[in-house]
Amino acid sequence: MYTLSFDFLRQYYPMLLQGAGVTLLLTVCSLALGFLLGIIVAIMRRSSSKIFRAIGAVWVEVLRNTPFLVQLFFFYYGLPELGINTNPILTGIIALSVNISAANCEVIRSGLMAVKNGYYECAYALGYSKFQTLRYFILPISLRIAFRPLTNNFINLVLNSSATFSITIVELMGSAKIISAYTSRPFEIYIIILVGYCIFTFVLSFISKYVDKRIAINL
Amino acid sequence: MQAFEKYRSLRLLDSLQFLRGIGVTLEVTLLSIAIGTFIGIILGIIRCSKNKAVSSLPLIYIEPLRNSPLVTQLFLVYYGIPMITNWMPSAFTCAVLTLSLNTGAFFAVLVNNSIKAIPQGQWEAGYALGHGKTSVFIHFIVPQAFRLLIPQAVTLYIGQLQCSSYVALISLIDLTKTGETISLRTMMPFVCWGIVFALYFIISFPLSKLAQYLEKKNEFAY
Repeated sequence: MYTLSFDFLRQYYPMLLQGAGVTLLLTVCSLALGFLLGIIVAIMRRSSSKIFRAIGAVWVEVLRNTPFLVQLFFFYYGLPELGINTNPILTGIIALSVNISAANCEVIRSGLMAVKNGYYECAYALGYSKFQTLRYFILPISLRIAFRPLTNNFINLVLNSSATFSITIVELMGSAKIISAYTSRPFEIYIIILVGYCIFTFVLSFISKYVDKRIAINL
Repeated sequence: MQAFEKYRSLRLLDSLQFLRGIGVTLEVTLLSIAIGTFIGIILGIIRCSKNKAVSSLPLIYIEPLRNSPLVTQLFLVYYGIPMITNWMPSAFTCAVLTLSLNTGAFFAVLVNNSIKAIPQGQWEAGYALGHGKTSVFIHFIVPQAFRLLIPQAVTLYIGQLQCSSYVALISLIDLTKTGETISLRTMMPFVCWGIVFALYFIISFPLSKLAQYLEKKNEFAY
């Protein structure tokens, strides 16, 4: 009979913490980048120019219909063939943010569509330019509407980031893999990681619920 | 050296390998979707119970699976289960098991949400017509909830198709792993990953269009 033992943690917990730090770095960077990209693509999809709309649509459809792992490998192993040198962490951040930008775009776009036409007309009547209207009227409203689904995307991003260990980034999952190789106790270590991710995402969704209550508006 | 050179180039015969990869990916996905849907429907209906204790019971199963990465779950099953039991599941069994449990958790939430989305008035209307509780559920609630559920379910299935690429990490030779193998042999990663990328897109793009179509078709308001 196999007995569970978590003794190895005493020796290896710094490694896990380091891994968690890398996960945090990855997710925070790609959250910011993915958010910006999402806004840009969402605005492109709403623009009056046909070319911009097409680019936005292709961007979203391609990224939503291919697995994250394949995108990651494509970026990491494929780009050097074109003469672009890749660095694991940078590639991880770019792949994650590109991947999340498609989902963010859809959410933000539905937020933009929820803003009534009257808001645009009102802003134009007050003499605001197109960009100013977007910056001061439309985006603040639609981002508030889109806040809850955006945080769902962020949680997905955290979960997806665990796949980046396959391009040699030692984040939480990667460090767990190394520890399981050292100690040959895979069950315990993966259970710990699973619980760790659960706690992290629970905290995130708790915070998002709280913030959402504070900033919620009725149109 | 020359003998190896012969095998380096990407040949027409490799398309068969990609086809086999697609086959494995589809097999894993379809099996796990079928089992997961079954689990999800049962748990989703339990979640709708009026009794708080009963309805929160499935959360013990749902929440950990929804809030942890699929990769970790796969590794836990593939490397962990042989350690604590005498059972040594193959990579395929592990993949199907984990993916179906995962799909089940997500599907349970969808089922629960779409049943909850039916207004209380529909229940009351059923009671007023003299139906019992089960009868109202089967004849009034299920058909309406079904319409809400279908587009979301198709979206979930597409997501699971893409998540099934993670099984490559536990060395099951699916489409992703095939791409990796061939790209290592031919040393043309850009082309090989590009092919895999395109193949996944070709499989899942019609499905996502279908989901959009179903969503439009089933839109209805009270």
